[in-house]
Amino acid sequence: MPDLIKNLPSEIKKNKIKAGIFLGLSAYWGIILIGTLVQFN
Amino acid sequence: MDVFLPIAEVSVNILAIFSLSGIVGILSGLFGVGGGFLMTPFLIFLGVPPTYAVANEANNILATSVSGSTTHYLKDTLDYKMGLMIVVGGIFGTLLGIWIFTYFKGIGKIDIVISLAYMYILAIIGTAMLVEGLGEIDKARKKIITKKKLHVHYWIHGLPLRMRFQKSKLYESAFTPIIIGLIVGFIAAIMGIGGAFILVPAMIYIIGMPTKLIPGTSLFVTIFVSVIVTFLHAFNYGSIDLILVFMLVTGSIIGVQCGQKLGESIDGTRLKTLLAALLLLVGIAIAYDTFFANNTNMEISKIDINDLNPLSIFIKKLSVEMPILYGLFSIVFAVSLGVAAAFIRRFFSNLRKKYLKK
Repeated sequence: MPDLIKNLPSEIKKNKIKAGIFLGLSAYWGIILIGTLVQFN
Repeated sequence: MDVFLPIAEVSVNILAIFSLSGIVGILSGLFGVGGGFLMTPFLIFLGVPPTYAVANEANNILATSVSGSTTHYLKDTLDYKMGLMIVVGGIFGTLLGIWIFTYFKGIGKIDIVISLAYMYILAIIGTAMLVEGLGEIDKARKKIITKKKLHVHYWIHGLPLRMRFQKSKLYESAFTPIIIGLIVGFIAAIMGIGGAFILVPAMIYIIGMPTKLIPGTSLFVTIFVSVIVTFLHAFNYGSIDLILVFMLVTGSIIGVQCGQKLGESIDGTRLKTLLAALLLLVGIAIAYDTFFANNTNMEISKIDINDLNPLSIFIKKLSVEMPILYGLFSIVFAVSLGVAAAFIRRFFSNLRKKYLKK
């Protein structure tokens, strides 16, 4: 696990597209989940 | 060039409706999905209120599924027994969905519920397809071959009341297709979609049906589910607009034929990734529209019935005065368009074969 965290920056650099897609999807899910909570409160 | 929709009481651009339904039809033909989960959000973006978009897209799906399953009926690629079991669940699911729809309409939250349902469904399918598509591209690039299990057993396979499905060569619990039908019917009633994107994977991975019987059986189920959804929407809310349905059906039937032809010459894996990106983009647009766009109160202008043309007056009067007859008429109208499209396609296919032989 610590190795994985240590290697994370280089892994991100290696897989820029995958990291971009992962960030994009996380942002999208974050927006719709927060938006839902706001709408119903 | 705008046309006034007498039931939805909004004006829409004919060219926009034709071209969008054509594009969605092409995507349906390419990927073998109904396209309702793309067309309903597009209708909402064009200014059709969500309640009307859901109902009219359900009627459009009825026409396209009748057209598609007529072709499969002629080819004998349909498992009626399995289809009818799914329909049984679908009927209960649809009734439950309409009940939930009525509840949210009653408290004035139906538009937000439809938007949220689309956002989540598009996000789930888009994410799953994107991850799967990227994985496949990655594997193909690295030349990795993975062996898949022939059949995976889930809890659903341990249910009682097992029966034989001769055509699919399966011995399975009747509850498996019924539960799947229940979920599909529920989603169809709330979102105005055929549910093929749930039904097809469920038929492959959960029921384990032969691939050649899946498109026909899925379309066969969609006919019944969309008939119930169309009728209940027409009867309960008078929300079916025959002028909109006619435009949608014409555009999507032409698009489906073009899409099927295109699909024969394009790589499927890359297309799947592109479709996933498109679904996520539509989801983002709905999220923006729901959460961030300024909610301007649209002024509803009362339209004098005498200002409408004779066809619009006839449609409006029929919808208000005889809702049951109107519901039945909209079903017959969609079924006739669907059957006519199937026969026109067969005519042109025979004509092409005749000239190719020469």
